[in-house]
Amino acid sequence: MTSKWYGLAPLLAATALALVSPAAAQTPPNVLIVGQIAEPQSLDPQVSTAVNDFRILVNIYDGLVRYADGTLEVEPALATDWTISDDGLSYTFNLREGVTFHDGTPFNAEAVKFNFDRMLDEDHPYYDTGPFPLSFNFSAVESVNVIDEHTVEFVLTEPFAPFLSNLAYPTGLIVSPQGVMDNVDDYGRNPSGTGPYRFVEWQSNTRVVVEANADYWDGAPALEAVVFRPITDANTRVAEMLSGGIDVMVEVPPDNVSQFEEDSAFEVYEQAGPHVWYVMLNARYGPFADKLVRQAANYAVNKEALVNEVLQGTATVSDSPIAPAFNWAYNENLEPYPYDPDMAGQLLSQAGVDSPEVTFYVTEGGSGMLDPVTMGTAIQADLEAVGFDVTIETYEWNTFLGIVNPGLGEDVDMAEMAWMTNDPDVLPFLTLRTGAWPEEGGFNSSYYSNEEVDELLEAARVETDIEARGDLYKQMQEIVYEDAPWIFVANWQQNAVTTQAVQGFSLQPSFLLQLHDVSKP
Amino acid sequence: MTAYIGKRLLAAIPVILGLSIIVFLVMKLIPGDPAQALLGAYATPENVERINRVLGLDRSWPEQYLIWVGNLLQGDFGRSYILNRPVLDEVLDRFAATLILAGASLLICSVLGILAGIVSAVRQFGWTDRIVTFFVLIGISMPAFFLGLVLILLFAVHWRLLPASGMYAVYGGGDLPDLLRHLILPAGTLAIVATGVVARLTRAAMLEVLRQDFIRTARAKGLSENAVIYRHAFRAALVSIIPVIGIQTGFVLGGAVYIETVFQWPGLGQMLVKAVSTRDLLLVQGGVLVAATLYVLINLLADVAQAMLDPRLKA
Amino acid sequence: MTDMTLSTPEPRKRRSNWQLLMANRLAAAGLFLFGFIVILAVLAPVLPLPNPDITDQPNRLLPPLADGHLLGTDHLGRDILSRLIWGTQVSLIVGVSATALAAIFGSLIGLVAGYARGATDSILMRFVDMLMAFPYILLAIAIVAALGPGLLNALYAIAIVNIPFFARNIRGVTVSIRNREFVDAARLSGKSHPAILFTEVLPNVLPVIVITMSTTVGWMILETAGLSFLGLGAQPPTSDLGSMLGQARAQLFTAPHASIIPGIMIFLLVMSINLLGDGIRDVLDPRLRSGALDRPMPVTKIARRTKPAATLEDAPALVVDNLSTGFDDGKAITPAVRDISFRLGKGECLGLIGESGSGKSVTALSLMGLVASPPGVITAGGVYVGGREVLCLREQELIGLRGGRVAYVFQDPLTTLHPLFRVGEQIAEAILVHESVGKSEAHRRAIELMDTVGIRDARSRASAYPHELSGGQRQRIGIAMALANDPDIIIADEPTTALDVTVQARILELLQNLRRERGLALLLITHDFGVVAQVCDRVAVMKNGEIVEQGETGAVLRDPQHDYTKRLIACVPELGEGQAFLDRVRPLFVEART
Repeated sequence: MTSKWYGLAPLLAATALALVSPAAAQTPPNVLIVGQIAEPQSLDPQVSTAVNDFRILVNIYDGLVRYADGTLEVEPALATDWTISDDGLSYTFNLREGVTFHDGTPFNAEAVKFNFDRMLDEDHPYYDTGPFPLSFNFSAVESVNVIDEHTVEFVLTEPFAPFLSNLAYPTGLIVSPQGVMDNVDDYGRNPSGTGPYRFVEWQSNTRVVVEANADYWDGAPALEAVVFRPITDANTRVAEMLSGGIDVMVEVPPDNVSQFEEDSAFEVYEQAGPHVWYVMLNARYGPFADKLVRQAANYAVNKEALVNEVLQGTATVSDSPIAPAFNWAYNENLEPYPYDPDMAGQLLSQAGVDSPEVTFYVTEGGSGMLDPVTMGTAIQADLEAVGFDVTIETYEWNTFLGIVNPGLGEDVDMAEMAWMTNDPDVLPFLTLRTGAWPEEGGFNSSYYSNEEVDELLEAARVETDIEARGDLYKQMQEIVYEDAPWIFVANWQQNAVTTQAVQGFSLQPSFLLQLHDVSKP
Repeated sequence: MTAYIGKRLLAAIPVILGLSIIVFLVMKLIPGDPAQALLGAYATPENVERINRVLGLDRSWPEQYLIWVGNLLQGDFGRSYILNRPVLDEVLDRFAATLILAGASLLICSVLGILAGIVSAVRQFGWTDRIVTFFVLIGISMPAFFLGLVLILLFAVHWRLLPASGMYAVYGGGDLPDLLRHLILPAGTLAIVATGVVARLTRAAMLEVLRQDFIRTARAKGLSENAVIYRHAFRAALVSIIPVIGIQTGFVLGGAVYIETVFQWPGLGQMLVKAVSTRDLLLVQGGVLVAATLYVLINLLADVAQAMLDPRLKA
Repeated sequence: MTDMTLSTPEPRKRRSNWQLLMANRLAAAGLFLFGFIVILAVLAPVLPLPNPDITDQPNRLLPPLADGHLLGTDHLGRDILSRLIWGTQVSLIVGVSATALAAIFGSLIGLVAGYARGATDSILMRFVDMLMAFPYILLAIAIVAALGPGLLNALYAIAIVNIPFFARNIRGVTVSIRNREFVDAARLSGKSHPAILFTEVLPNVLPVIVITMSTTVGWMILETAGLSFLGLGAQPPTSDLGSMLGQARAQLFTAPHASIIPGIMIFLLVMSINLLGDGIRDVLDPRLRSGALDRPMPVTKIARRTKPAATLEDAPALVVDNLSTGFDDGKAITPAVRDISFRLGKGECLGLIGESGSGKSVTALSLMGLVASPPGVITAGGVYVGGREVLCLREQELIGLRGGRVAYVFQDPLTTLHPLFRVGEQIAEAILVHESVGKSEAHRRAIELMDTVGIRDARSRASAYPHELSGGQRQRIGIAMALANDPDIIIADEPTTALDVTVQARILELLQNLRRERGLALLLITHDFGVVAQVCDRVAVMKNGEIVEQGETGAVLRDPQHDYTKRLIACVPELGEGQAFLDRVRPLFVEART
């Protein structure tokens, strides 16, 4: 009996060798393999809400407008040009002619109307192919009118400055009406757009494959196909990148960036974007109701060390609710609160508080939250060094949002938060206005209130002149800086790594991943 | 036997139904809801309410639960809120992957565990026993998630012998050798603890059986030592080993959660963890239902196999 | 009762528990490692360690042996050694508390379910089934999500998912205890159910609880680490080992030491606990303790100082010459039988008689090297079958004689027949070992043999399993198996003791007939002089491992030389003797005591 097993051993060994040896195959030429951070939710751009999905969507679809390369300014896409009425209530777009969806149906004004009606009109026959979580981006739209085959008009209920920018955001990408009608509920898994790549297959939890659209109106892409592969675990993503299983990897963990930088086989890309990471301070209850204590907290935290050490230079120090990437709206004159524990101590004694006890809500992860537990722990240590007594409570992301969004109560003093937006208006409008307190349906969970700020934000929203709008934002930032409703911490720089074979790759400030111009011979 | 199986299956129904009520309540008690997960930072009360209405989450809890059960009886598992996909499609996809992973691990742990256990019992206190005991000890003391990371570090990154993650090569591949290559590390890691448990148990069961009177009878008949051990002793020991392998299934399925996360194996465990965190109630319900049914079936199978082996249990 | 089981072990016994534990080198190593880790963890506040929560970001991820940081620093520049020791303290407390909680609630469920049975049992066990059918990690995650984060909630989650473990184990033991005599007695004495449960049942279940705990603590610590690894445990800046590993995982490729060190620490801690747990189990489990689970070798260990002659001229069928067998407890060999000598001719029947413990079974088993070894050792003497000394044969040759020329019939055929094989198969197997015949031929002969030993309807009974037969039928199967290869000698070890009187008579008759027909040499081991008188030509009386008297059955019965023989003979009551029996027997035993 035993001898039989010995006989089996070489056989087993041989099998093992055969399985093991041909590993680490290189990816094929002209096919780009992208390591994504997760499985997409849906490839229906009106349904999807995640940046991770947007990276695929912008390659399958076009919007009426898009962000110009390297900026957050809009340029023509499916619309060749447009006019805005003087009252800012009517936008008329001339559509590009001769464009067809991947399913062969033509792109025209009816298709545009179908898209927005489906999302906004509860009586639309395909409204139930939703839900459409981000449709409120277009809540100002009153109606969409077909003027002729290639002209479409949007009528707004009130002037809304971010409208064009919202159209360039993935929620404004145009889907094929025929595709929705054919697939109904399953459209999200059978997408059809007008973009540079055509959808081929979606194997659940394994890959999404798209192939070049030879008829693309803006020129056929050089790649034959792109494969998006979900790899949730950052380490595994790094391992796949190192072992040659993927060509492109997004959201490189900070500590691995230098590893890739030093390796000549890889190319590292970085791009600042409209991202703000902050700690909101409860302005209604507890020690942070006092502005001096809030300022003390800003002096106490060593943000330089955070971005340079913990985040390994993948972020820059922030000083405002508007990200520097919105260059026309960001106030260049501001300087971040310096790291000055002595100053913090002085402010605390000036405020008459001695070792204030505070509770700090920290999330375990989440969209744009970077490394929240580590960052929270570092902030805790810095605050404790100047006399605060900080208790951290960590929550998983959805729980976290569920308890932070309704507003911080008396027992919570601070909470982490991060936003990625497509317009400078969004973040301050939703989080700093008195009218945005949670009770009013906004996200001002820490109950900051300053009339001047409120007025400036309302004015900016209806101002269609970009320079005038920018000025309003800059004034707002100075007040907010002084009031310190948050600990301003970081602006993330999005990063990605590619192998040397990948050419023409670039990251966009919009955090979207345009692969039209990429090649990999 | 058929009646017995029927009775067991009937007895499983209240267990699974009770389980679904627990899952439902737990999911409802967790703060946050699917609308929150869908909307992320944009979850204003107004938006949340709009989406809850669309998803039917504005109804009362008993109503929601009964609707779910009603649909289930018609074979409709509902749609995942987050994935926008029929729950059944997603669950079956995932289930297939988990079945491959868990099946391979169970195979490894049964074969290796039983072999190691026998060798270790037969050579009790000998050097083979010591070596087996040592490895078994390492197996049951090693955090599987840690071992998985170390194995990836060594085999995928350092030596580049095996793929680091996934179930198939991203491009090309997709055949059996490709699957096996991807399977080695996760299935091996997942099997480690169970192998240790099975080996220990087999050793103990064999030692126990080898002391029985009927083994002395077998010896008195003049049977060779091999026949005594493999025919007589092992057969009797197997009766107590099989239910433990059934129980191990539960642990292998549970442990799969870590392993699927570390190795990006697109299985049920990974799906369930994510579904819990996104409050995707129907997906959690569907997944737990399938996992629990699988567990019940495997244990039934183990009991049936045990009864086949041991005529005394048939009565 | 509680007192008895909990604290009766006298000092000597307690010491021996400890000694037993220490004698197990692995368990001792586990204990020392575990002790060392516990002491380090307990001493954490007084050890000269840097504050584990002080961050020093410029000095983050320093490798081990860096200046001032023996094990380096983590991703926030905190001292890993200090965090490791503090983290171990947290992991230990959580793991042990979770085990205790799971043990308390699981045991309670198990006790109540096992004691109450009926509907309570069903409902509780369905609940336990439910927990078992739930992927346990998911359940833990959901519980933590529902209760909110924090070590305490993780602890509850771990405890809850492990309740089924204890509940199932304890229920099983409780069920087996609830109908024992002392429980019945307590019930009759009017004790309330809770009182019985906690004062009668619990103390007897306690060792099982302790064993289950000692073997699950390690597993619990692993699970706690797993939850923390997923970020559901300790709240920053506190870390347990799992969250240290989880947090350092982001730097696995760039600074592997930060995750490998806590990983190894978890491993060492759990391993030491497992080693210790195994040791405790070995000490507490009475069977493991007595070495009753040592693997018996195919042939009894033979360690004779002098070798007897290999052959014997003119020998009868069986000659036993000065045979001594003892038991080795590791330090010394305790003799069990000494200087046994007897002869057995063809067609003759020798009765070997003595009270239980007198060594007659050991003698019988020694002949073919069937005394379980360890601990059995044959220390001296020789056994001659057909004039050839068998104990000096090679193992294979000796095994060849078993069931061939020398066959055994054992006492309790329910335990001595293999429960999972059909009886026909078991007989056929005995033939197949010794003869190269086909399977169907062996089967045919098996049925023949069953016929021979008087089993009616042998053909259909051949496919029965032992448990489906009556005691008498089973013993006939045992005899058929012994007859399978036409042996010269049959050694029957108390073949009728387990049977009732009428069946006993028929089996003895069967043996007698076979002996006459086939010219068998029969060695009959018994404690019953009645049986000897009925069957045996000669008798050998054993006491304390020695033959004290030997001779013709008639002569010995008529005129016993040894007191012990007298007493044995006297112990056979005569029909209708009544009270006179006790009067007759009493003086014999009074003498013996003085």
